Amino acid sequence: MGVDISALLRGKPVRLEDLTGRTVAIDAFNTIYQFLSSIRQPDGTPLMDRDGRVTSHLSGLFYRTSSLMQFGLRPAFVFDGAPPELKRKTIEARRAIREEAEKEWKLALERGDQKRALSLASRSSRLDKDMISESKSLLRLMGVPTIDAPSEGEAQMAYMVQKGDVWAGASQDFDALLFGTTTLLRNLTLAGRRRLPSGKFQDVVPEILKLGDVLSALEVTREQLVDMAILIGTDFNDGVHGIGPKRALVSIKRSGSLESLASEGKVEIPSGYEDIRKIFLDPPTTDEYILDWRMMDAEGIRRLMCDMHGFSVDRIDTILGKLDLAERSSHQRCLDQWG
Amino acid sequence: MFQAKARAEVLKEVVNVVSSLVDEAKFSVNADGLTLRAVDPAHIAMVDLSLGKDAFEEFKADETEIGIDIDKLAQFLKLAKSDDIVDLKHDEDKRRLNIVVGDITRRMSLIDTTGMSDPKVPNLKLDAIITIKGEDLIHGIRASETVSDHIALIANPEGFEMSCEGDMDQVHFRKSKKDLVSLESPSSVRSLFPLEYFSNMLKAVSSGTHVVLHLGNDFPVKMEFTIAGGKGAVRYLLAPRIESGD
Repeated sequence: MGVDISALLRGKPVRLEDLTGRTVAIDAFNTIYQFLSSIRQPDGTPLMDRDGRVTSHLSGLFYRTSSLMQFGLRPAFVFDGAPPELKRKTIEARRAIREEAEKEWKLALERGDQKRALSLASRSSRLDKDMISESKSLLRLMGVPTIDAPSEGEAQMAYMVQKGDVWAGASQDFDALLFGTTTLLRNLTLAGRRRLPSGKFQDVVPEILKLGDVLSALEVTREQLVDMAILIGTDFNDGVHGIGPKRALVSIKRSGSLESLASEGKVEIPSGYEDIRKIFLDPPTTDEYILDWRMMDAEGIRRLMCDMHGFSVDRIDTILGKLDLAERSSHQRCLDQWG
Repeated sequence: MFQAKARAEVLKEVVNVVSSLVDEAKFSVNADGLTLRAVDPAHIAMVDLSLGKDAFEEFKADETEIGIDIDKLAQFLKLAKSDDIVDLKHDEDKRRLNIVVGDITRRMSLIDTTGMSDPKVPNLKLDAIITIKGEDLIHGIRASETVSDHIALIANPEGFEMSCEGDMDQVHFRKSKKDLVSLESPSSVRSLFPLEYFSNMLKAVSSGTHVVLHLGNDFPVKMEFTIAGGKGAVRYLLAPRIESGD
């Protein structure tokens, strides 16, 4: 998902211990999709309760968010609103991929090809309305603020970071940088061992990317970074055939912008590029949110997780105990708040 | 270029000020002396230190930056007695600081400072200003250390108070206005702080030194005092804890 400029960027590794007291806006959809695709049984079947309802998202949100909170981090989750019209094609393509993957997954299961099944199943992850509203309920019970973005969650996240209401934004997508997230945390909700779609495990360390550092390392402006992304391909356009991150960087640095690149006549730049620019540089955002980290509601969490979805009371209670301890020591502020 | 001679005691004071917050530090040097500004990894506290050239026995420098592993420097300074003269010389080509004490020469490799940011000093409006004898403040903190891990600093027009409430015990330390060096507190202010940080910040306060505290309501505290016999200045900022129930 999002633009692939990973080849051009290197983040700075950071330890969760060093993030104590930090407020972080987390791209909720991005994170929940990770949980849906990674929290699965070896044959690819997602976590489900007795009634066959998927619970991978609840498991991920509960265990991962609580472990961040135990490190003293103060997370807030930003949920996507209505997607921009231009994203429709991408959304439909993703749906097609999901449906295809789901069919093939079932075939692979029949064949008994577990490895292939897991890889396909990860790609078939689906996030529906009920799952979204349940995710929000769980987070609120945990005392974590949830924010409804008017459109793209990452745009809202970037806005909150720019305003200084939160210290950083967290997402795996580099799009967050295009939207202007000045401090981006990657791998935050994945820290530890992560299972790749291939079934292998990999050690994952959170890393910090500063937009300013990225721009000065690449020697481009944010506008030029957006232009590069449009050439490479974003969630809102296909990109130019044959142009990858490195060529896009060279081209935009040489010519300055998409317009002047077009006037050279060698590259046909994507139509409607101005609208895509606008999505990244001037997206809809809102000031209507409250960042209030509250006391958790342990009884409510038990009801949702254990009574409704059959999670083990013992395991949930163990975490609740740790959260209670963390809560008591979570009142430390950091100086950044007084920038 | 940086070349200087200093009494070991002065350098030990500098190390004491910095080591409670960071392991590595970037010293900025110019013809007037050296300065340092750093925040701890959790961004809870900031130190802003300046040491004028007259704090040194000899001092010659052009503008430059020197990245020092504070632990290494502290270890080396343990070899020196307070009155020993320490000879410092920056070898820019080899990126080393050559330090000589008596017969010992340490060639200390320096840290790359390019990635080290310059923290921005928050803009704070703090209403209460309390000046207190360093030993009085230290006395009050020592009394609190076994009781809880946080301490409330309180000021009002009548006096200054530190209050520490643990699960079992409580400690209160009160100084009325006449027992303080000075007090300006138009209203009543109170902020809560992590005790360990606060206590570490007092490590470098030598006896006979006055400490100035700037305090607000649920705001960071600013703590100022001098080192090197008044030839150096230290300013700490410490972020508050927000009291439960908010």
